[in-house]
Amino acid sequence: MRAMVIKEFRQLLRDRRTLGLLVGLPIILLVVFGYAANFEVSKIPTVVVGPQAAEVASRLHAPFQVTEVDPGGDRALAESRLQDGKAVVGVVTGASPISVLMDGTQLFSVQTAQGAFARMAQAEVASGGTAPAVAPEVLYNPDLKTSWIMIPGLTGLILLFIGTLITSLGVVRERQAGTIEQLAVMPFRPWDVIFGKILPYLLLATLDLIAIVLLGMALFGVPFVGSVATFAVGALLFLLVTLGMGVLISTVSQNQGQAIQLAIMFVVPQILLSGLIFPVNAMAPGVRWIAYVLPLTYFVEISRGVMLKAEPITALWFPIFVLLVMATAVLSLAVLRFRRDLAPSTRRLRRAEPEPLAGAA
Amino acid sequence: MDLLVETRSATMRFGDFTAVDGVDLSVRSGEVVGLLGANGAGKTTLIRMLLGLLLPTRGSVLLFGGAPSRSARRRVGYVPQTLGLYDDLTVAENWAFTAAAFGTAHPEVPESVSGSRRELVRDLSLGLQRRVAFALAFSHDPELLVLDEPTSGVGPLSSAQLWEDIRASAEQGTGVLVTTHNMEEAEQCDRLVVMAGGRVVAAGTLGQVIGDRHVVQVTCDDWRSAFAALDGDGFIVQVQGDQLRIPGSPARVEELFQRHHLLGKLAVVPANLEEAFVEIGASESRP
Amino acid sequence: MTWGLERATVTFGAKKALDDVTMRVSPGSVNVVIGGDGAGKSTLLRALVGLVRLSAGRSLRPSKRAFGYIPATAGLYVDLTVEENLAFVGQAYGVIGRDYLTRSEELLERIGLTEARTRLGGQLSGGMQRKLALAMALLHRPELMVLDEPTTGVDPASRAELWRLISGAAAKGAGVVAATTYVDEAHRGSMVLLMDQGRVITAGSPADIIAAVPGRVGAARGSDRPAGHSWRWGTSWRVWIPGGELPAGAQQVVPTFDDAVMVASMSNAKES
Repeated sequence: MRAMVIKEFRQLLRDRRTLGLLVGLPIILLVVFGYAANFEVSKIPTVVVGPQAAEVASRLHAPFQVTEVDPGGDRALAESRLQDGKAVVGVVTGASPISVLMDGTQLFSVQTAQGAFARMAQAEVASGGTAPAVAPEVLYNPDLKTSWIMIPGLTGLILLFIGTLITSLGVVRERQAGTIEQLAVMPFRPWDVIFGKILPYLLLATLDLIAIVLLGMALFGVPFVGSVATFAVGALLFLLVTLGMGVLISTVSQNQGQAIQLAIMFVVPQILLSGLIFPVNAMAPGVRWIAYVLPLTYFVEISRGVMLKAEPITALWFPIFVLLVMATAVLSLAVLRFRRDLAPSTRRLRRAEPEPLAGAA
Repeated sequence: MDLLVETRSATMRFGDFTAVDGVDLSVRSGEVVGLLGANGAGKTTLIRMLLGLLLPTRGSVLLFGGAPSRSARRRVGYVPQTLGLYDDLTVAENWAFTAAAFGTAHPEVPESVSGSRRELVRDLSLGLQRRVAFALAFSHDPELLVLDEPTSGVGPLSSAQLWEDIRASAEQGTGVLVTTHNMEEAEQCDRLVVMAGGRVVAAGTLGQVIGDRHVVQVTCDDWRSAFAALDGDGFIVQVQGDQLRIPGSPARVEELFQRHHLLGKLAVVPANLEEAFVEIGASESRP
Repeated sequence: MTWGLERATVTFGAKKALDDVTMRVSPGSVNVVIGGDGAGKSTLLRALVGLVRLSAGRSLRPSKRAFGYIPATAGLYVDLTVEENLAFVGQAYGVIGRDYLTRSEELLERIGLTEARTRLGGQLSGGMQRKLALAMALLHRPELMVLDEPTTGVDPASRAELWRLISGAAAKGAGVVAATTYVDEAHRGSMVLLMDQGRVITAGSPADIIAAVPGRVGAARGSDRPAGHSWRWGTSWRVWIPGGELPAGAQQVVPTFDDAVMVASMSNAKES
């Protein structure tokens, strides 16, 4: 038995990918639960409008971060700020009670805000004053349902699985079976092969997406109030990123086992750090940057915004732009690497062969 | 000469399927026996019965005079097609593992492969890997060696070295059972046992297995037209360079040649092992 | 039109996988490349079909539609049926419609898989898989056929059938190059190339190669190794003397092809 143990150790130490997973994964989890898993939001962007805006604004302290004070603004303005995602809390002064609008899609921010308001009222009473009459209103997700904010993000997760894991397996299978070599010598162009392989997964993922969205709406009553077109654009771009990652992973994997390991390393951090579960704005700045390099973070923003808030495409231009850049980069890289498998001697051929492939006899 | 392996009417049935059907096989010390057969002919099942990994449904299987047991297996050296080496370990590490597993007192890697002791197995050429696998199997002084296609894929020089090792062990008294598809390997054995459909369909020396089978050898200038004509008429033609070899009667071949106005020299020559094998297999599959 | 390689060299890092190799494939000829593992057979074939870049020399081959290649690993899709595999190849090479129907039926019959057309590739035996791969490579009537170890691991009966198909293609005018580790298959070709470490150490028809054996070859019995270059053959020895007399106890024989291959390999090893 001792011999078995020694042998296994030796083999394990040489297997870098498994080692990486064994060492890396616990560290990631530690980091996440140490720094990122936090439900208390420390900074809540707030807009204050109405005649008493300045006065009320001066009374708001942390966690509220007053980003805009507009005495001439009204409720409509506050609402549009919330819808555009520029503020999470909107205080509308001028009438009594004061309307406090809160963006229900930022569930944890709202909870933090509610807690903060309660503490403020208590402090007022304790110091002998009267708490001003406040009418809180949670927009977009009035019952603060977790399912409503999770399901739009879940659609992204599904796209992530299909896009990355399943695509990488599908392509690696070809490499493992040795049939990629044959594709290279058949009268296919590299484009035919690459997109021919990706297209079925694209279609499958789209069908899956539609199914999940409809199911979410039917089972949990999740609304879909925004523009389908905007959602589709976001979904398509995100899908291209994940599919591209899938192909990229397959070009650096020799077999399905390796592909799965790499896919896991790509998917797991996104589940935990993209704002799907733990809000991004509650993460310590030292780890928050990680969320900003993950594609899922941007798609979660888009899907939540569109489905729950009818966030217009103009307000979502940034996440869409980021996804576009990511998609272009990843796909280009994937195609370049894949081409190397499919047409290794093309360049040399043109230079070394004076007679063009001796035309068919 | 000891009888190392003896099976009498060994039969193995899996439900409806009979994988091995009444096989008599023996291996004596010092001899090299070749077991030939297509995949699915029952060779692998038979080997597993010899090693005691399967119990025969009928008949008897004796290993070193008794029923195959774990202690009997220790006296057998087995090299499967896949070599049984860990390719992410070095030669020396593989050696240490095997020695520990079998409890042998051979801590040193043998001379023949010691040059690569620190190399990972997967970085070695196939020929060298096979020699390592063979040396490993031989390391615990087995009385019987079972080798699965020992030289397949290996170049002429490495193959010759391997067969020297095998012969040397046979001369020391080890009995060797080689399973193979390769006609050349078959020619190296003292005698052959040919299996098809679970049964032994031929046995004996190479000459005995070929028997007096003959083929018609045709030499002609235009082998291609001759091939097209013969093939089109349903003959099974094998091409060797610019000669054709056809099993069957010379009269029929002559007749066809005349019909197609082809010119060529006909001769009746002994069949080679492959042709004999094909013919045996064909007559077996006819119910 | 003659295809082939001209002074082709392929380097991977510091290693020369193919070293100044020239070979010609004329229409209707069967050329067999033999050699051990790592000799460069696969690299030669892959250089011929354009799967590896040449660091020197050139490769002459027809357009992709006019050649067929089977890599050393099966070359078919195990999760598609026999029919689907053929259909895929047909579409890829532009063999469609009635032409495809007649051609695929003809090939299915020749390889004996008409009854098994709906079976998955993975459910076929090794021999049947190779036959299907060959049929797939023949579907578009290529002018050049490049086969990497088409019969390795296949039972002798299937091997004979595979060679019948290959010879048939050559009989119809295709040029065939096949790499194999089975030395007895070298006889199938009109031209044989023996390779070792990326170089061609001898080439020609089997008869030429035998005739080119320098010195004498003898057979000896007994368990002691005879002097000179010797190797085992069954229970006896074969011995080769490049110049001079055979050692005592050895009887001179006419060299067989196997002897010639052994002698060439030994001379080559001596020089390097």
